[in-house]
Amino acid sequence: MEKKDYQADRRKFLAGMGMAGAAVLAAPAINAVASQSKVKWDEEHEIVIIGSGFTGLAAAIEAKKLGATDIVVYDKMPYFGGNSTYNGGLFAVPASPLQQEKGVKDSPEIMADDQVKAGRGVAYKDLLLHVAKHANEALQMTLDAGSEYLPYLQQLGGHSVPRTYQTIEACGAGIIRPLVNQCRKLGIKLVTRAKFDSLVFDDKGTVVGAKMMMGHYFGRDVEGTAVNVRSKRGVLIATGGFARNVGLRSAQDPTLTEEVPSTNPPSATGEALLEMFRVGAVPVHMAYIQTGPWASPDEDGFGYVSNYSIYNFAHSISVNVKTGKRFMNEIADRKTRADAQLALRKDDGSPLPPITITSYEHAKEHPTMEKVLKYDVGWKFDTVEELAAHFDVPLEPLKNQIEEYNGYVKSGVDEQFGKPMGKAEGKYIHAPFVVVRNWPKVHYCQGGAQIDVHARVIDSNTWKAIPGLYAGGEVTGGMHGVSRLGSCSIPDCMVMGMTAARTMMKS
Amino acid sequence: MKPQVLFTLFLVAGLALFAAGTSFSGETLEQFGDTKGRSYHSDLYDGPSCDSCHEKAEPSAFPPDFACLDCHDGEELIEATAHPEDEKWQNPHNNMHYGNDVPCMECHGEHQQSELLCAGCHSFDYPGFKK
Repeated sequence: MEKKDYQADRRKFLAGMGMAGAAVLAAPAINAVASQSKVKWDEEHEIVIIGSGFTGLAAAIEAKKLGATDIVVYDKMPYFGGNSTYNGGLFAVPASPLQQEKGVKDSPEIMADDQVKAGRGVAYKDLLLHVAKHANEALQMTLDAGSEYLPYLQQLGGHSVPRTYQTIEACGAGIIRPLVNQCRKLGIKLVTRAKFDSLVFDDKGTVVGAKMMMGHYFGRDVEGTAVNVRSKRGVLIATGGFARNVGLRSAQDPTLTEEVPSTNPPSATGEALLEMFRVGAVPVHMAYIQTGPWASPDEDGFGYVSNYSIYNFAHSISVNVKTGKRFMNEIADRKTRADAQLALRKDDGSPLPPITITSYEHAKEHPTMEKVLKYDVGWKFDTVEELAAHFDVPLEPLKNQIEEYNGYVKSGVDEQFGKPMGKAEGKYIHAPFVVVRNWPKVHYCQGGAQIDVHARVIDSNTWKAIPGLYAGGEVTGGMHGVSRLGSCSIPDCMVMGMTAARTMMKS
Repeated sequence: MKPQVLFTLFLVAGLALFAAGTSFSGETLEQFGDTKGRSYHSDLYDGPSCDSCHEKAEPSAFPPDFACLDCHDGEELIEATAHPEDEKWQNPHNNMHYGNDVPCMECHGEHQQSELLCAGCHSFDYPGFKK
């Protein structure tokens, strides 16, 4: 296949640089600083951000607020947002305005404690507490940009109290699109088809810029043209995870072969993470790769069943179709539930996805129910007999299980699996029913490069920060330990993005 | 009704449905000299006018991402593919995840068949889309 040269969309590119209609980039002023290194610079900015998801956009807006005048955000794809614009738009905030309104008692310490527990002893408490303490500021940034949230809180798996906001779209796009528009209003340059290649250091070991491949066409075999971008205040790596890098993920966990689906876009491949390791960043928790137990084997990507399940698990039952009985606490943390699901097999060892049963009366309260029914990934049944027949579940054991569970709803205590029954109060399982199937999908990489609470990347040679190098969000490791709680990635990304901007502006 | 008449009716109805409901690239992808191009752009293949879209008359790269908007009106496109309110963000030209930022070539192929970007995850119907 013949290689194509890069031909920039010149008008957009130059307009972004603040030069309308000019034919060439002005070189002379920039060459002056080349004496510090042998690199010939093609561009110079004050703040360079790699990645346009929650972390990158929050950092850009915060940097602008703190007085930066020349900020650029690069994305290797033809559009912005990465996985951030795909996910369920769930945002955990402790001591939030909505909690105050609903009378929920919470604090950053309680949220961090919940996360430490899910982290199974290896999560970084200082990072968790830092994020929890600043989550309200991140929420405010989204509100200022125009994000809208549902008027109620959700209690996700592993959280001890309801603290999760959700965008009205039930999608991260409800935050990303407003932030993209905000960046444009503020004159922050957003550049697509710009793939990060490598970091550029001066002879003192400080990151002074990045080599970018401009005009990169992902999936079309056009790498792009090398462009050296200098950055006065360093480089922020905000490139997300590596769930779609089959080589890297299966090196950590050999069961995550090519056939295992993912909720992430094909761009989640982690090249920038690997480059950070190459220059000495510390690998942390790389083997902890999270699969989402709320996904459905009946649809691709993140899908409609994910948000539906997340909303409904608290007041539903998940049932093993072979036995008709529950097999887990439906709102345990993700690892506990994914492991429990993966254990459900047919006699030949192939997957036997469980069903999640919700009363139609409760399911209809959330916008996702209509969608799962419409797109044939969820089904409504008027009687338990029809339900059992459809999925080939033994009828009497299922009827007994439903009755038994309804007893727990009444008493407030789940004697089978210890599920917190607060959100299930008064919510009995009865006809008509809505049912979906669940099976884990590769969702999130807890592992990545080690950072400190200032979003500085740590050097494995000196155990100090690598000057000029910053990272935040899923590309970093340590914060969530073995298992990340749902709705805790958005606060992580946005707070660490804002933190990186604050640190960079002080440099 | 006579069986033969009924059969013919069904045949005609079936063909009509078939033609209306599907759009193969074969319908609109034509050969213009040594290049394949879209039948609705046939004017652009009348003589050496590759630079109608590409930056050079002898193209060596993809056209700029929004070159198509030199002729096609972006706002009109958004209106043309508008969806009912409860599905409004399924509008390919102003969609949930990317707004109106998706470059045309990510769905539309001028010289070859192309797949809808959304179809990677979603099962939405776009009957007007020309593969």
